[in-house]
Amino acid sequence: MNEDYLWDKSGQPDPQIQELEEILGTLRYQPKPLVIPRALAPARRRNYFPLLAIAATVLVALLAAGVWIQVRTGKESQPQQAKQVPARVEEVAPSVVKDSTPAPKRAIKEPSIVAVNKRRHNTSALKQREREEALAAKEQLMVALRVTTEKLILAHRKTSTTPANQIKNQHRIG
Amino acid sequence: MKSLFQINIKTPLLVVLLIAATALVARAQDSRLQMSSLDHLAAKASQTVDVNIDERLMRLAVKVLSDKDADEKEVKQLVSNLKGIYVKSFEFDLDNQYTAADLDSIRTQLRGPGWSRLVNVTSRKEGNLEVYLLLNGETIGGLAVVHTDDRELTVVNLVGPVDLDKLAKLEGQFGVPELGIENKPKAKNDEK
Repeated sequence: MNEDYLWDKSGQPDPQIQELEEILGTLRYQPKPLVIPRALAPARRRNYFPLLAIAATVLVALLAAGVWIQVRTGKESQPQQAKQVPARVEEVAPSVVKDSTPAPKRAIKEPSIVAVNKRRHNTSALKQREREEALAAKEQLMVALRVTTEKLILAHRKTSTTPANQIKNQHRIG
Repeated sequence: MKSLFQINIKTPLLVVLLIAATALVARAQDSRLQMSSLDHLAAKASQTVDVNIDERLMRLAVKVLSDKDADEKEVKQLVSNLKGIYVKSFEFDLDNQYTAADLDSIRTQLRGPGWSRLVNVTSRKEGNLEVYLLLNGETIGGLAVVHTDDRELTVVNLVGPVDLDKLAKLEGQFGVPELGIENKPKAKNDEK
C-alpha cells in the first residue's frame, strides 16, 4: 500500500480505500442554495417603530403642555401676592424710620440682636408675611362675597318682584 | 407598506383622540371661567373690582377666619370647600362703554356642558342679570353671575362645590341688607 495516496492522492491507490471513498463520497458537501421549510420559517415581525415614535411624540407634547399650564398658572397667581405686599410694607416702613433716627446708639445695637436670632427672625418674618398675605386674601374674599351676595340678592329681588313673563327662570335644581 | 402604515397610525390616532376628548371633558367640568377678555375694560372704567382668589389664597384666607366670630365661622364653612373666587366688576361714567362682544368669550364658556342657567332677568332700569350653575350630577360644582347694565358689567365666578343654603345665610353680612334669599325649597315655591 502506497501511503502517499492518503496524503495527496498520488501513487497507487489501495482498492479498500477506493471502496471506502466511493461509499463515503455520497455524503460529500454539495453546494446548493439554502431552502428553509415553510413550517420552520420565523413569523414576520411587525415594525413597531412608527407606533412608538408617535406615542413618544404625544407623550412629550402632553408633558410640555402640562409644564406650560403649570408655569402659566404660577405666573397668574404671582401678581396677587405682589398686589398685597407693598401696601403692608408702606405701613411698616415709617415706624422703623422714626425709631432709628432719634436714637443712634440703639440703631447700632439692633443689628447684633438680629444676627443672634437670625433663624428665628427669618421664620417669624415668613410667618408675618404669610399672615399679611392671608389677611389680604381674607379682605379680598370678603369683597368677593359682598359682590356675590349683592348680585344674588338682586337676582332674588327681581325674580320675586318682576312679572312672570319677564323672567326666564330655568332652574334645574330641586 | 401602505396598509401597514395605516394600521400603525390608527392606534396612536385613537389614543390622541381619546386623550383630547378626556381633556376636553375635564376642561368642561372645570367651573373656572377665563375672564381675561374683560381686562381691557379697566382702562375705561371709573371703578374696577378685580378679585382673584385661587385655591392657595383661599386656604390662607380660611386660616385667618375666626371660629369664635359667628359671621366669620359661617363664611369659613361656606368657603372651606371652594377652590376659588373670581370677580371682575367695572363701573363706567358713560353709557355703552362695553359691547356684547366683550362678553362673548364668557357666554361661550357658560354655554359649555354642565353649565345651566338658573335665572335670567332682563330689566330696562337695572339691566340683565343671569345666574348659572355648574351641575356635577346632584352637586353644584360652580356658580357664575353675569350682571350687565348700561354703566356696569360684573362677572362673578365661584369655583368648587357651592352650598346655596350657606350662601343664602350670608345675606345681611358685609353691609348687604337682609332681603331674604330663601333656601332652595322656598325659592322653588316662590318661582312657581
